[in-house]
Amino acid sequence: MAFDRAISRQLHEEHAATLALWGRVEQSLAAGALDAALMREAAAALAGEIERHFEFEESQLFPRLAAAGEGDIAELLAEEHRAIREAAARFLALAGTEPPPAELRPLAFELAERLVSHVQKEEMALLPALDDLLDEQADRELQLVYAS
Amino acid sequence: MFGNVARSRLLPMSLPFRLLGAAVAFQVAAWALLLLHGRELGAFAIGLGPVFAALHLVTLGVLAMAAVGATLQLLPVATRQPVRAQWAAKLAWWLLVPGVALFAAGAAAYRPTAMAAGAATATLALGIYGVLLFANLRGARGMRVVVAHGWAALACLVLLTATGLALVARYEHGVALDHLAFRNAHLVLAAYGFMGLLAFGLSNFLLPMLAVAPPPPARSAYFVLGAAVAAIAAGVAGWQLPAALLGLVAAGLHIVSLERALAARLRAPLGVAFLMVRASWACLLASLALAALMALDLAPARAPVLFGLLLVPGWLLTFLLGVLQRIVPFLASVHALSGGRPLASSLTPQRLLAAHAVLHLGALALLVAGLHLPGAAIGLGAALAYAAFFVYVLVKARHHGIRPRHQPATA
Repeated sequence: MAFDRAISRQLHEEHAATLALWGRVEQSLAAGALDAALMREAAAALAGEIERHFEFEESQLFPRLAAAGEGDIAELLAEEHRAIREAAARFLALAGTEPPPAELRPLAFELAERLVSHVQKEEMALLPALDDLLDEQADRELQLVYAS
Repeated sequence: MFGNVARSRLLPMSLPFRLLGAAVAFQVAAWALLLLHGRELGAFAIGLGPVFAALHLVTLGVLAMAAVGATLQLLPVATRQPVRAQWAAKLAWWLLVPGVALFAAGAAAYRPTAMAAGAATATLALGIYGVLLFANLRGARGMRVVVAHGWAALACLVLLTATGLALVARYEHGVALDHLAFRNAHLVLAAYGFMGLLAFGLSNFLLPMLAVAPPPPARSAYFVLGAAVAAIAAGVAGWQLPAALLGLVAAGLHIVSLERALAARLRAPLGVAFLMVRASWACLLASLALAALMALDLAPARAPVLFGLLLVPGWLLTFLLGVLQRIVPFLASVHALSGGRPLASSLTPQRLLAAHAVLHLGALALLVAGLHLPGAAIGLGAALAYAAFFVYVLVKARHHGIRPRHQPATA
């Protein structure tokens, strides 16, 4: 999907990376494997995503979405962040263990489903809305905030 | 036109689910009616009666009902436009449900007057939906491929309603018209036009989304739309062979471009839903190939019945049931309260859906083979399994609690 605003494009690229990584995780789990290196890679990416991507969306984007009359969607996305954070905390606590414990498998499956579903909602609802809501000035300001 | 315009694109759960629930119930009614009168299916060609009623319970009661429910929730996402008036969408349901029931009862009982009243009520409902669809498409931004298919489907809805009313007027008042030509035009506009174009358009973003795959290229989607519209126009004009051949080109390219997109998916298992979708595509191609053979006088004697079976329960119903088994749990999970926010997979009874797929596809195979009564019996079993799936999702979602509507903070 093509987006007009630079901040939308940047978030879209990060979403694509998330989908690719967790798609690999899901495929690996579906094949019966519990790849320790892949679990560590997923854990590192997840920690970074929650700290930076989620924080930015919650502080900068969801309020704009709510102000534009899309409070339902902003609330839904924020609730999903909370659910992902809860699952991620359990996943991160186990992902560094060598060999990976069996409890990691259902957690990884859960996170894969939650993240893919969440990214799809943001791609369909949040990013197109940003294209409509932001002007060039606001787009530049948000890029600066996200880069800082 | 509708006064206070809603701003959010997320509808309350009750709105799409009341339409989807009615579709589930009408499917059970359609198969039950077919089971009671299955022997008449082999001789069905034209005119009122239980088979005609069962057919319209599927087309109006299941396909149109679910199309209204699904597009009311999905199109706003694609077009970035909210549903303009939720009360109008609710009113459409209140009119469509009794309208379909009255139409089918009148048709089954050979009572044109009752059928006409049902047709008028259903037409009013579809008119309201048409206005909502028009308002949504007129302000649409984004997903131009889906929007273009939406416009073409809306045009078909207007024409199929007009031809449908003309046919009912013939039955009730004896209005003189070329019945065969109007009936064929009505069939093409309803099945390949309104329902088919909505299915094609929404497939372009829905199927890749469900499989986590890239969408098909816009150029091929526009080519498919152009070929499909030309095929529909030819079909309405009565040029059966060009219509069937153009339809085969459109359907073939549609399927190939979606299969290519699905091949690049990130999610490995596609599941039972996509088995149903692929079976529906096979029926679509078979219906068009059979239409071409009929135009060339090369088809078997029971070809008209076979064509109807491939087209309505084979393609459209199977596609709808396949897609809905993914959408219903997804929408329910969106509306369920947190407490860990339920995953769509936790609201999906996989074994029940696998059993449904076996029953539904088995029923289709038996009907196509000419075993109408066993086919109808197994089809009824499939419809009941699908109803159980729908109830299961609702009960599980209610167990989690349903989100209240967002209330904007007052200043």
